[in-house]
Amino acid sequence: MTTQPFADPAAAPVADGTTARPFVDRRRPPILEARDLVKRYRLGRTEVEAVRGISLAVRRGEFLALMGPSGSGKSTLLHLLGGLDRPTSGEVVLDGDIVSRLSDTPATLLRRAKTGFVFQFFNLVPLLTVEENVGLPFTIAGHDPTSGEFRQRVREAIGQVDLDGRERNRPDQLSAGEQQRVALARALVTRPLVLLADEPTGNLDFTTGTEILDRLWRSCVEQGQTIVLVTHDSKAAAYADRVIFLRDGAAVDELELGRRPDHATGPLIARLAQLGL
Amino acid sequence: MRGLGALAWRDLWRRPLRTLLTAAGIALGVAVLFAAIVSRASIDGAVDRSVRDLLGSADLRVQAFTERGLTDPTIATLASTPGVAVVAPELERQTYLQTRLDATGGGVAAPVTVLGLDPALDPRLHPLHLTEGTRLTAGLERSALVSETLAAAEHLALGDQVTLLGSAAAGPTAYRVVGLLAGNGPLPDARGRVVVLPLGAARTLFDVPGVSRVDLGLAPGADPAAVTAALASRLTREPYVLSTPQDVAAALAASTAGFEAGTALLAAVALFVGAFLVFNTLSMTVAERVREVGLLRAAGATRGQVHRLVLAEAATMGLLGSLLGLVAGLGLAVVLADAVPAFGGPVVDRLAIPADGAVLALALGLAVTLAAGLEPAWRAGRLSPVEALRPGALGIGPRAARLRWLVVVFVVLGAAGLLLWPSPPGVGRGALDQLRPFAVYGLLLLVAALSPFLVGPLGRLLGLPLARALRAESRLARSALARDRSRTALTVGALTVGLAMIVAMGTVAQDARRAAADWLTTVVPGDELLGSIRPLAPDEPGLAQLAAIPGVQRVSPLATFGVDFQGRRVDAAAVHGADLLADGRLTFVAGDRTTALTALDGGGATVLPASLADRLGAHVGDTLAFATGSAPTTLRVAGIVDRSLPGPTGEALLVGWGDATSAFGVTGARFLAVRYASGQEAVGRPRLDALARSLALEPDDLDALGGAVGDALGRVFGLFDLLAAVAVVIAGLGIVNTLTMSVDERVREIGMLRAAGMTRAQVWRMVVLEAGLLGAVGALLGCLGGLLVGAVILRLAAPDAAPTGLPWATAGLAFAFGLAVSLLAAAWPARLASRLSIVRAVAYE
Repeated sequence: MTTQPFADPAAAPVADGTTARPFVDRRRPPILEARDLVKRYRLGRTEVEAVRGISLAVRRGEFLALMGPSGSGKSTLLHLLGGLDRPTSGEVVLDGDIVSRLSDTPATLLRRAKTGFVFQFFNLVPLLTVEENVGLPFTIAGHDPTSGEFRQRVREAIGQVDLDGRERNRPDQLSAGEQQRVALARALVTRPLVLLADEPTGNLDFTTGTEILDRLWRSCVEQGQTIVLVTHDSKAAAYADRVIFLRDGAAVDELELGRRPDHATGPLIARLAQLGL
Repeated sequence: MRGLGALAWRDLWRRPLRTLLTAAGIALGVAVLFAAIVSRASIDGAVDRSVRDLLGSADLRVQAFTERGLTDPTIATLASTPGVAVVAPELERQTYLQTRLDATGGGVAAPVTVLGLDPALDPRLHPLHLTEGTRLTAGLERSALVSETLAAAEHLALGDQVTLLGSAAAGPTAYRVVGLLAGNGPLPDARGRVVVLPLGAARTLFDVPGVSRVDLGLAPGADPAAVTAALASRLTREPYVLSTPQDVAAALAASTAGFEAGTALLAAVALFVGAFLVFNTLSMTVAERVREVGLLRAAGATRGQVHRLVLAEAATMGLLGSLLGLVAGLGLAVVLADAVPAFGGPVVDRLAIPADGAVLALALGLAVTLAAGLEPAWRAGRLSPVEALRPGALGIGPRAARLRWLVVVFVVLGAAGLLLWPSPPGVGRGALDQLRPFAVYGLLLLVAALSPFLVGPLGRLLGLPLARALRAESRLARSALARDRSRTALTVGALTVGLAMIVAMGTVAQDARRAAADWLTTVVPGDELLGSIRPLAPDEPGLAQLAAIPGVQRVSPLATFGVDFQGRRVDAAAVHGADLLADGRLTFVAGDRTTALTALDGGGATVLPASLADRLGAHVGDTLAFATGSAPTTLRVAGIVDRSLPGPTGEALLVGWGDATSAFGVTGARFLAVRYASGQEAVGRPRLDALARSLALEPDDLDALGGAVGDALGRVFGLFDLLAAVAVVIAGLGIVNTLTMSVDERVREIGMLRAAGMTRAQVWRMVVLEAGLLGAVGALLGCLGGLLVGAVILRLAAPDAAPTGLPWATAGLAFAFGLAVSLLAAAWPARLASRLSIVRAVAYE
């Protein structure tokens, strides 16, 4: 299988034969870029190549979905993009910084300043209130999230996910969907350059999953938030402006959906069928 | 069950570090327990050997009460008592070797103990072990046996002359060494410096009319009780104490009762702290394997099987730990045995390792482990399969259940202590004394039980100073502690108990040191004490020479002796009332000072220490009758003082020199209290000390005496501190366990924090802070609890004593020690947390 670069793709044809107009300006430089990324690791005695020479570019305000079946390397790719892991070869460039070359502490500080993460498991600190959980990135950075501008931003982030009035609740007093909304607010509170979401609806039922996706999309539309979403669910991927399909650690196709308020899954399902995914 | 047993085994090896830490905790607890058992058995063995050395095959010992001793008519009465077959009189006195005096240029070396015995009768009861030479024979009055130890120290060989200093009348007398006694000789207390003379020669040397004691061998079939009764009616001439070998053994063992109770209490504390550790470990195991338990239950495992699975793990750790503890306990027993003489016990020259003691320690270690495993096992068994398989099930029990467990284990251990450590037979310990360890134990339970309620608020309070500088770390550390409050409380409780013991002993030690330092200065009418190994008669020229030295204001003779009050020995001291009056010593709590001290010199009066007055129920104006020879001597209580001069067994009642010599047979002073004129000590002391040495007197500074007592106490309490420190180290292992589990539970959370920009250093600091807060709360509670326990111990020991200052230094050190142990315990879990791979952590299930 050959690896297809998607660093600056032209508008790709969709399954129904029409061509969607790219939502973002492809002439602008990307804020997040992967260059020929390879990630291998050992599993017992065998070596596994989880990511095999993937290149991609994400531009400001774009909502990109990485889609593929289980084991296709999409989560590993997201971890590499977010600087949580280092590639075996290749580079990740975030806002001009080559994240993959940084040692742990500078990479951590870069993550703190420029990225936000949402995981499948909400990973809230159980004994902190909603407010404290959302303000955690500020706390980690040594700021007081209960005063001044930080307090204001915590309030805004909570409002963004419609949890006003629940600030003093603890995670165990919230539903699963609400907990994931807290996790989303925590990722958004620092106004990160890129928000990276790893199967954020994987642990939720249909309705609450939709709530999360709606809010992700809203942040993208209303605040211009750049989002990279990893999912195996076509309904989730249908919220994205662009979808990259992965199989066996390689990017096998790309679909430009454009910004569509209806999030129809039709074109996506058709392409998946073509690809046999 | 075999299959499930293998599961238990595999689980233990899945977490080898935790298993080993837990086993080490139990091992340390069992080690302290086994060391206490071994040292106790060794003390018993040493007591038996001492009794054999002292009494040989004698059935009864009649001991003289006064310095005059038992005279020939009394010995004759003893010999003619029905049932008595052998009468072996002995005289025991201390003196110096003249050769030694010459060799040290007039300085005073260690004294020798002279034992005078009847060469014909004594061997029938006390076989002497000779390594060289011949036995003493009647008629050869100038022959002597010396112990090998003394011979080696003084370079004496068979045929050499040994010259002993005698009474003023006899002067120095030379004897020929005819035999060498094996080792230290027959007297355990003489530190090997023993000379044995024929009885007649010894009496001549010391110019005494009587003997120190008479050992009796009974005729075959004679009833000791009948003989005792016959002696009571026949011996009316001189006061005496009659004892059996059992009495002597009990008296020797009595001095170590406090030591044994102390080590037993600390063993219980160490085991209890070990139980905390087991409980936490098994709770963690159950919490971690909650889904596995659910699966087993869904697959048809019964509750009983799940119980047994958890208990099998507990038993394995208990067995491993207890076996390790037995080995470590032997090492600790050597340290304890060395300390026994410091408590007034016999020299323990060999360790006795009782097989039943080893079994007992092993069984108790195992029982405590199993007891600690009961609650987690019960909890695991109660988990419903549906609940256990649900994501997020924690398998953590309610706080009340854990507290209940805490109380149960504490009470079980306390009851075991009560059964295993009854007070030694024949020792007159009051009910209060026996209850003291249990009162302490109960207080510790109270402190440990309070910790769950205090951990939260105290943690917040102690975290405040750090909240600004390390906002995230401190907030998250506090949150981690609050995650499982009962686990935190148990961990803190273990630390609290160990530290409380250290601080409590610090309180007691400080009080004892203060009392030792204050006591002598408030009662002795002088700046310096000169000790004499022989009685100094009031008219001895040396006394006048000492008093005539420029700068010396007063030389006051003192002697301590025993008096017989209603068949019990009471310590007494002969004093000059006028000297005490002039010197302003003694604090009177009843009676008029001037009247009372003047009455002492007039005769027929006594001044009692408050402790003795309480014990005898005596008041000022009462008349006390003491057995002295054929007729009792009565003394009127002229006053009661707060503290009095120390005697061998307690505070002494004071009598004037007139009564002491005429009624109680005191022949001379054993101490001289020297008071220098104001500002003249520097002038007078060098001359006085030089003269004192030439008169074979040992000068002792009062401060030095107080300091020496303080040092001895320091060694004693240092040993207990060591044992309590073992408990703190076990608690430290508990902190390692708790933090490791806390990190384990929060792997995904830590992954999220790292993803959100927390650096490795911040994660490391977060875990260290968590330990620091645990340590600070435990140390604070431990210090406060320790001060309370210490105050209660002192109050129980002396209800009327003035309160002493708080041992800030000890409390500060204990706090620092607890904090340091906690921070050290954080090293491994903090490293674990900071090195977590973020990718694995966020994917961790």
